[in-house]
This record gives sequence, C-alpha cells and structure tokens, in this order.
Amino acid sequence: MRARTASASSIAGSPKCSIRDPTRVVSAGFAGARAAAPGALRRDPALTVTVIVLWALLALFVAYPLATLLSRVLFDKGTFDVAGLVSVLTDRHQLRAFWNSLLLALLTGIGGTLIGFLFAFTAARCRLPRPVLTAIDAAVLLPLVSPPFTTAIAMIFSFGPRGLITYDLLGLKGVTVYGMTSTLLSETLTYFPIAYLTLRPLLVAIDSNLEGMALSLGASRARVFRTVTLPLCVPGLANGFLLLFAASLADFATPLILAGNDFPVLPTQAYLQITGLFDLRGGAALSFLLLLPALAVFLLQRYWVGRRYYVTVTGKGAGQAPFDSVATGVRRALLAACALITLVIVYFYALLLYASLVVALGANHAFTLAHYRVIFTDGLKAIRDTLIIAGIAMPLGGLYGILLGYLVTRKRFFGRRTMEIMSMINYALPGTIVGIAYLIAFNDPPIELTGTALIIIACYVFRYGPTGIRTTVALLQQIDRSLEEASQGLGAGSGMTFRRVTLPLIVPAFFAGLGIVFIRSMTAISATIFLVSIGWTLITVRILENMTELSLGPAAAFSVLVVAIVFVVIGAIGWLLRLFRAPSSMPMASMLGG
Amino acid sequence: MNLIRRLARTLAQGALHCSLLTMAAAFAIPAGAADAVNVYSIWPENWARPMFEEFEKATGIKVNFVRFSSGEALARVIAEKGNPRVDVLFGGPVETFAAGIGEGLFEPYKSPSFARLPARFKQPDGQWTAIADDPLVFMTNDKFVKENNLKAPTSWNDLLAPPYKNMLQMADARTSGTAVTRIFSILEVNHRDETKAFDYMKKLRPNVQLYTKSGGGGTLPVGLGQAGGGIFFIVDALDTKAKGYDVTISFPKEGIGTAAEGIALIKGAKNPELGKKLIDWATSPAMQNQFAKYKINFVPAHPDVTLEPSLAAVLKGANIFPIDAEYAGANRKRIVDRWVAEVLNP
Repeated sequence: MRARTASASSIAGSPKCSIRDPTRVVSAGFAGARAAAPGALRRDPALTVTVIVLWALLALFVAYPLATLLSRVLFDKGTFDVAGLVSVLTDRHQLRAFWNSLLLALLTGIGGTLIGFLFAFTAARCRLPRPVLTAIDAAVLLPLVSPPFTTAIAMIFSFGPRGLITYDLLGLKGVTVYGMTSTLLSETLTYFPIAYLTLRPLLVAIDSNLEGMALSLGASRARVFRTVTLPLCVPGLANGFLLLFAASLADFATPLILAGNDFPVLPTQAYLQITGLFDLRGGAALSFLLLLPALAVFLLQRYWVGRRYYVTVTGKGAGQAPFDSVATGVRRALLAACALITLVIVYFYALLLYASLVVALGANHAFTLAHYRVIFTDGLKAIRDTLIIAGIAMPLGGLYGILLGYLVTRKRFFGRRTMEIMSMINYALPGTIVGIAYLIAFNDPPIELTGTALIIIACYVFRYGPTGIRTTVALLQQIDRSLEEASQGLGAGSGMTFRRVTLPLIVPAFFAGLGIVFIRSMTAISATIFLVSIGWTLITVRILENMTELSLGPAAAFSVLVVAIVFVVIGAIGWLLRLFRAPSSMPMASMLGG
Repeated sequence: MNLIRRLARTLAQGALHCSLLTMAAAFAIPAGAADAVNVYSIWPENWARPMFEEFEKATGIKVNFVRFSSGEALARVIAEKGNPRVDVLFGGPVETFAAGIGEGLFEPYKSPSFARLPARFKQPDGQWTAIADDPLVFMTNDKFVKENNLKAPTSWNDLLAPPYKNMLQMADARTSGTAVTRIFSILEVNHRDETKAFDYMKKLRPNVQLYTKSGGGGTLPVGLGQAGGGIFFIVDALDTKAKGYDVTISFPKEGIGTAAEGIALIKGAKNPELGKKLIDWATSPAMQNQFAKYKINFVPAHPDVTLEPSLAAVLKGANIFPIDAEYAGANRKRIVDRWVAEVLNP
C-alpha cells in the first residue's frame, strides 16, 4: 500500500508532497537517540522528572485499579477460587451474549463505515457549497456529542408499535422495536460520524490530480473510483471500521434500552450481573472477557492501520476537486442518500427538543418550560458539578495527551513502549470495568478517592486523554526531528525545546485532546455511573435516572443542554485552532475517540 | 494575528491555572459536615428530596444524598463495605435489603416505631425496617384496550388474551424487585404449585414484548401505547396517570402481591447517631404523613397513618396479599434461576 501511494503521488508530480515512510523516520530517530541514550535521563532533569511523574500516574490510575479488580475477581475472601467464574464464563447465555456482541460490533463497524464513507465522499467530492457542508458537519456531529440513550429513545418513539413513523404515519401494527435490528440501526447512526471524521480528511488530502490524471488517460469514473480512490482509502476504511467496532463493543446504553429479551450483549450482561445479581466478581469476569476483542482491535489499529495511516496525509491541503470526478447522476444519488440520513438525525433531535418543551410527550403536548425550570433548580448541582469536573479534566487531559505523546515519540527512556501501551489500556477497556475498578481500588486506604471529584476527573483524563496521545503521536511523526535537534544543538534543554519548539507545533493535538476529553466528560456514563457520589454527581447520571423514572421531559431538557454546551465549547476550540492556523481537519479526525 | 495568538495562548494557560485552583478548592471541601447524614436513596429524587427537606426542617440535620436504582445502590454499598461512604440506605424494596443482609452490610437498629409495626414490615433483628408498602397492579393503555375490544384485565388469565401478543412490558427478575414480587404473586395465586405457576408464566411469555431492567421501565411505553399493558408497582402506575397518560389501573380477582419499602443503617457508618435519627423519623408517622402532600402514592407502613382518600379509592376492593418474606427469601434465588432458564431463555 505504502509503495503504491508513493508511486502514485510521484506520478502526480506534486513537488511538495514529500511522502515519508514513518517507520523509517521513527527508527532513524531511535538510532540517533540510542547513541545519546546512556545518561540522557541523568543529563536532563526536566525529562527525568516528567517521566517519573507520568509513570507514577499510570501506575496509580491504570495499573493499580486494574490489578485490584483482577485480584478481587480471582480471589474469594483471600483464597484463590475460579470455580464460580468458570460457571459464569461458560454459561450458555453469557457465551451467546459474547458472540452477539461480536456480531453487533462487526455489523455496526461495516454499516457505520459505509455510511461514513458515503458522507465523506459526498463532502469531499461533490463540490458542495460551504453552508451545506457546515450543515452536514453539524448534523453529523450531533450523535457524537449527545448523551447516550438519546438515539435509542427516539428509535422507540418513532419505530415502536405506536411509533410516530411506524404507526401514525405508515399505519403498521404489531411492530417490534426491540432486538438486534434496531440496536444495530441506533448504534450505526450514533457512531458513523467517527468513520466520517476519519475518512473525510483522508479523501480531501488525496490529490485530486491523481483522479484527474486517470480520467484523462481514458478510465471511466467508476474505474477511477475503483482503482484509484478506493485503494487510497483502504487504511482510513480499516481504521474507521476498527474504531466503530470498538465503540460498539463497549456500548452498554443502547442495548440496555433496545436489545430486548432475545439479543443479550456482553456489556449489558456484565452490568446486570453486577447491579442485578450483585455478583461483582462475575460481572468483572464478563468484562474481562470483553478485553480480548477490545485489545485485539487496539493492537490491530496501532500496529497495522496506524502505520499506514499518515502516508496519504500529505499536509498539502489538496482542497476541493477542481473538476468533476463524480457524474451528475451519481452526485444526485449521493446527495439524496446523505440528505435522507441527515434528515433522520435532525428529526431525532427535533423530537428530543420537542419532548423537552411539552408537558408529556404522547399525552399532553401543551408548550411548557417547566422541564428546563426543573433542571435549572433541582438539576443545578448536577450541571455545576459536571461543568467543574469537565472544566478541570479538559486541560489536564489535553496536557497529559501531549506530554505522553511527545515523550513516547521523541524521547528514549526505559520502558517507553510499555508506557505507550499502558496509557491506552483504560481507553480500550469497556467503561463499566474501569468504573468498578476505580470504585474498588480507591475506596479503602491507602488511597481514598471515592466520593471526591478527583476520582471522576482521573477516570476521564486516563480514559479519554489517550485520544490526545494518538493525535500527538500522529502529528509528531509528520514533523521533522531536525527542528528539535537544532534547538538542542544550540544548547536548549529538553524542557525549553519542548516549550519553544515542539509545543507550538503540536498545539492542534492539545486542542483535539481538550475537545474529546470535554465531549466525553459531558456525555460518558458507563464508567462514571459507579463513581458519582453524594458530593459529586453528573448530568448523564441524572438523565439515566430520569429515563428510568419516566420523567422524559427533564431527561430531554438535560440532553438538549448538554448538546448546546458541547457545541459552544467545540466551537470555541475550533476558533482557537484557526487562530493557530492549524489544519482543522487533522484534529477533528482525531476526536473520534472510543 | 500574532498578538491574537499570543493572547489565546495566555488565555489557555490562564484557564489551566484557574482550573488547578478550582481543583484545589474542590478537594478542600470535606466529604460530610458534622451535622449531616449521608444517604443512598433508591427512591427517585423527586420523592426523596422533599422527604429529606422535611427531615431537615424537623430536626435541623441536613441529608446529603445521591440516587441509584436498587441494584446500583446495593452494588455500591457492597463495593464500599470496607470503608462505607454513607450512613443509611433509603427506600427500595425489602428484597434488596434481604440480599444486603447476606452480604453483612447492615447494622441492626430498632427505631421507636419498630414494635408498632406488623411482622412483615421489619426484619426480626432490626436489620431493616419498612417505611412504606407498595402493591402491584395491572396497568393498561386505554386506547389499546378500546381498540382491541378488551376490558381492563381483572384476572391473571385476562393477560393471556391474544390481542396482548407481544404487547406487554414487565420487569426482568434478574434486576428488579418488582419482578420478583410479581413472580411470587403468581406462585401464591397458584397455591405455591410451582409447575402450575411456571406453566402460566410460559404461556404469558409470548405476550411479553420486553422484560425491562427497572420495575417502572415499562410504564412510559404503556402510557405512550408502545405497549398495551403491564404489571407495575402502584406508585409507578399512579405516577404515569398523574403525568396525563390515559391508562387504567386494575387488580386481578385472584389477588396480587405487595412489597414493603425499607430503610437500613449501614454497618460501619461514619455518623451512626444521625443515621438512627433519620430512621426514627422515616419509620414514624412524621414522615409517612407527608406522602399525600407530595403526591407520593406509597401505602404508609405505620399503622397510625391514615391512607390518603384518593389512594384508598384506587385500592378499594382490591385483593392484595403480602408476600411471605421467609418463603420468598428461602426460594428467591432458585425461583429466579428457574425463571431465567425456563421463561426468559427457554
């Protein structure tokens, strides 16, 4: 793939398009660093301190909770006992749930990537006017930034036995909304933006001269698509698929509402095992079962797709296609398909807004602001707590992301690889297990954090900060080391070099990290349901409560508020990014998160 | 442009400093002041909050609380066993409390009202005490019933009627005390003949559209007509009606069970004396007389509290029986396992 891209670009003859083999660059860097390695830490106190601090943090917030949970799972009251676990893990229904999870993740991955590609291709190749593009971007971002449950609930309203669409519009009777199909649809709709955000910058970055050249050489448009465009997108497609696969695998909110009786999935089963049967060990064991596919996906993404990914990002900003690479008929079909899906999304969120403004959806449609009054009085503490926690977690997560990302790409020190992999563990694990692990580990001395805001902040930083790490790593691999070497050669210490040279270069990664940590802090539920306390509660937990207590109005009002806040903050970050004149496509693509 | 960039950078740094300061402030606040009691409430916030505010008004003791479903609350208390974070577990079916006794979570305590309560409203050692009673009811969507020429069901067998196929919602026995109470009700009306009871549940299974995770999870779908009917606790059903949904509440003539809602002191509580005061208050008429004022449709557990007239009207003529706690406790796990194996996943 790499070779093909390179040769294709050299055909295109773009002089600035210096495609570099990232692995080679990195390994060359290692070789250089290796020579300087002995005593590098000693000579560089800033580096030493940072590395030690990061190791301590990782040990405390990643290794320690997980080890505590694992020992709790393996030992029953001090004796090694796995008999109970074996019976849970070999249970016919749990095994079915495991395969269901894999199947659901696979189909969500495929469906979501296809829709994501459809949108990305349309946005990048159909020469849409700027307002239309902005509208699409905003609509596509909606599912990504909204609290869990929102799509699921809208599905039931619209497609249930009395659904607005199935019953009122189409007059169908006896429709079943619970099961695999609707879970799949809901997850696809929720997660396809991840694939869109991965694929769009990729498609934009592909030099359209390539396609133009192939066209002028007599290939049909279909052939160009098949033999030029699509092959160039393969890494992006694979990456999108893996991200969607992982997201679906860890999702527990959607199946909790939509999966029904006949389609159990593992994250939900683990949650039920803990909260329903009070079997913490069994639930944790089930979550560890999820770890296998989650880790496999992470490793695939890291070592297979990750290496192929930057190759097509030339940093050249090819921009809009200067000629028609898409036939008019196809263009219309693409636009229609996108419009339809966008319409569905907008409809779902319009429904949400409507539900927040009427007395009781389905019963009393009189206009009221009562639900907003409720959330700004009774719910004020949740809003305040969430904003404080997100506000603190955001800069810390961004800082953690660039520091760790910088160190593992640019510095050579003991256990560098281990540090990188360890930093990704909390990100790859399903939220339920991270939450339970934190709860158990930090409840008792020596480290008592349960009940504080710090436990939630730490959970967010170490669970969602890794997105910033990935972005930093990806950005740094595109930046020539010689810049930093020059700085150090001129006598600057590594701290100075980092602040004055590297930092300005990786600022976009910092903001991407900020963005994703903020979005997740506002919308995550699976881990934090176990971490909220008397002192600190969160909006999402209140939404879940309101959903289960049939207070749909306040739940909808909270959701609208979350979407509004996130849009404002993301807008502000985008504005800051433009100030730094960073290619905005890059960090947006990296907000994909897990 | 450069100036703006520098400004933005200063802003970003400022934000970081600010948040660090806020953070320092955030952790300086102690977990609980001396005159406050910490509570996990299983009752939803809109019922728990007014009760706790009344308690503070009456005693000057502030209640810090967070709300969880019964399963989440118990899982939390279990996980925090070594270093409890709260003093009292408040509300929720005694089912949940019975499971907690097995884990050794509670400190026995007998409030002044304890002796006045009937046997089924207390654990003999005082591990938990009831604060309310909550009968099960049938709830049906009026439009659905009318469209299918049915009447509100008045017998367990009415729910087997063909129009209900795939249109009922009720709770999942793995996660909900509501469901366990329902299953033991079915056992009781079949005179504890398990074969007959399970035959009935298997016949009912095709009519069940969804077994919900929480006891009240099906009320909204029934209110909206996404489901035709279901079996719920009366508080949830009456709440649905109060929201304006057109639903009818009815009772089976064979009878239906009721479950008490409990309160318990956590073992190792940091403020046991304050916790006891809350238990004293909650188990007495002082709290239970307030139910009507806040439209909380629980049946009071204390014999001195009179039933609110409109609630009494709903319950009039209904055949409601208590679930035998001893029998239920002894057979719960086996029955739930059998339900999962034979009814849920046949």
